[in-house]
Amino acid sequence: MNRVFITGMGVISAIGNSVAENQLGLLHGTCGITKGTRLSTRYSGLLPFGEIAANDEALKEILSVTDPGVTRTTLLALHACKEAIADAGLTGAQLLSPDTAFIGATTVGGMCLMDELYNDANNPANNSAFAPFYDCASVNMYLQKYYRLSGIVNTINTACSSSANAIMYGARLLRNGLANRVIVGGVDSLSRFTINGFNALHILSDEHCAPFDKDRKGLNLGEGAAFLVLEKEADTNGKKVYAALSGYCNSNDAYHPSSLSENGDGPFLAMNGALKMAGLGSTEIDFINAHGTGTENNDEVESRAMIRLFEEPPAFASTKSNTGHTLGASGAIEAVYSVLNLVNQEVYPALHFKEPILATRLTPVQVHTKKQVRHVMSNSFGFGGNCSSLIFSKAG
Amino acid sequence: MFFIHQTSCISPQETFSNVKMDLLHVSVHNKLLAIEPAYTGVAVGVLRRMGKASRIGMGTAMRLIQEGAAPDGLIIGTANGGMEESIRFLKQIIEYHEDMLAPGSFVQSTANAIATQLSMLTKNKGYNITHVHKGLAFENAVIDTAMLLMENPGNTYLLGGVDEIASYNYIIEHTAGWYKKEYTSNQDLYKRNSAGTIAGEGAAMFLVNNKKEQAIAELTALTTLHSTDKELISGQLKAFLKKNVPSGESINLFLTGENGDARDADLVASCESAFGNETTVARFKHMCGEYPTASAFALWLACYLPIDQPLPEHMLKKQGTTNKNRTVLIYNYHKNVQHSFMLVTKFK
Repeated sequence: MNRVFITGMGVISAIGNSVAENQLGLLHGTCGITKGTRLSTRYSGLLPFGEIAANDEALKEILSVTDPGVTRTTLLALHACKEAIADAGLTGAQLLSPDTAFIGATTVGGMCLMDELYNDANNPANNSAFAPFYDCASVNMYLQKYYRLSGIVNTINTACSSSANAIMYGARLLRNGLANRVIVGGVDSLSRFTINGFNALHILSDEHCAPFDKDRKGLNLGEGAAFLVLEKEADTNGKKVYAALSGYCNSNDAYHPSSLSENGDGPFLAMNGALKMAGLGSTEIDFINAHGTGTENNDEVESRAMIRLFEEPPAFASTKSNTGHTLGASGAIEAVYSVLNLVNQEVYPALHFKEPILATRLTPVQVHTKKQVRHVMSNSFGFGGNCSSLIFSKAG
Repeated sequence: MFFIHQTSCISPQETFSNVKMDLLHVSVHNKLLAIEPAYTGVAVGVLRRMGKASRIGMGTAMRLIQEGAAPDGLIIGTANGGMEESIRFLKQIIEYHEDMLAPGSFVQSTANAIATQLSMLTKNKGYNITHVHKGLAFENAVIDTAMLLMENPGNTYLLGGVDEIASYNYIIEHTAGWYKKEYTSNQDLYKRNSAGTIAGEGAAMFLVNNKKEQAIAELTALTTLHSTDKELISGQLKAFLKKNVPSGESINLFLTGENGDARDADLVASCESAFGNETTVARFKHMCGEYPTASAFALWLACYLPIDQPLPEHMLKKQGTTNKNRTVLIYNYHKNVQHSFMLVTKFK
């Protein structure tokens, strides 16, 4: 079967506004998480967030967007899309063509404007320009119109694994002949809605998150977007190719709405399924970009599932210590980071780690290391037990 | 694409336990609310925590899972799943000034609550996904399911579309003119010459696989469009028919998502003009109301309608000369911009 290649990438996160800036941030161990947010929340100054420096006005100016009612979530998505589309060299004719699909993921969508939604619903006589755009689909419907796309367009929401599933869905459209090129990814922006939700669950840390550390206190929320262009191997003759998407699997943990089962059945099944699809043995994975949120539950269960599958897990780390947890964007942002591991033949350090978890004793990569990287696994696990793993491999 | 073996539907009409097609429940205040059955097989505590979209999704799905084989995956389309719980949590944030919040509504507010609660209730560790692309959320769930069956030909999947009327969405969409300003009964939905429609909700589920034996129907083709250009849409309909209907054959039943919004009259008329006298034209939105995944209700209806019996009078727009409902083309659209065609061949 035709291999699926990555031919373009775009990303914006708390550590940079482009793929190049993000790569430098990872290389230097930059932490983009700071106390305070421009959002008007009682937790500003109290909790750290992975916030993108550019405000909405700055983003609109960079993107030349003048339409009213465009949310921050949509602006971030457009920013990453523009980079990915230019990087892949997609032509205007290709974008217009019905064999180009667009699959985006988001969990917050227009709900980043929680207060505007509340006001519009309670004050119908005086609705804001954002009124039609509070749902998740509004982001990708804007992009569909912006690029005048005519192929399959979709929005996926499986909580924190949303954009890993968007990447899978796009790859499957290629393999099943329903598209010849796909633009896939995800976005989420910070919102009082998610800040309060995760805070009510007592899983936000008041310090920098420390994935896989014994004394980890929880996650930090972040924001960002990433998009990738995928094409079939046969269509990439002479084109720049970053890597292949060689395996993927979606499984459900079927255990609890907001925590993973003790032995990590969902994570195990997702990782194992992706390995099988890629036709790889467990010793052939050189690096894992772990889900690693920094919560008590996730990191221990993910460790246990990695030990179950690999016995001696390969080098791993979580880039959420750089960007914060970007929810529906994290799978796509970390897909870009996994591809950077392959392209640059290097692994990036986990931040804020001190001592391993007693029960599992796994230590993430702590220094930037040049090494041979042939296959990288990227994990994304979401509320509701939605677990997905992707495997990226060197194209050559 | 695939064969449909079992179906289940909770809607504003009698579609769940004892289906009564001739009876039409009347809308109240321009809304058609789904009639909930007494749910069985789920603990009261679990039920109490669920929003309505989760309950009706669970109720329709559990019937199929209890009656049939365990599916290999759960594929749900929903635009507003979890929305009412989101609103509940949002009100708490604002009214309690972000302090001392209970996380229950937040956990239930994610759109994937329907599919994932089903996986927990039935211990289903297979493929699990939630498509939320508004008026094409169910269509993307269909595409996903069709791909899964190309990849895993022996498997069986549970496919569904679910939405509820969320209070904030209703207010905002009403303000924007998507619902009728004047009192309108669903019985008179197509008689008014005014803008807007009436709101609705429902859940429809399907057990599907690649086996023709014993199947109720086959979904043979699907296409999706994003456009406000009625010429382009009717042109695409003709191309779809040319590609998917063998020459010399015709569609028995054209089932449209006409919703009483006078602004769409030209669009619907230009699509109807693609068919000759042999084709019956019928409508369904007076039964379920307008909601983003109403096409799932239409697919349930296409599966349920007997091949050799006349349609209920309230559905009929134009009786064709064929008098059969063997081949059904469903045309649905949402807010002018999202459109889909689904072609169904019935066996039962």
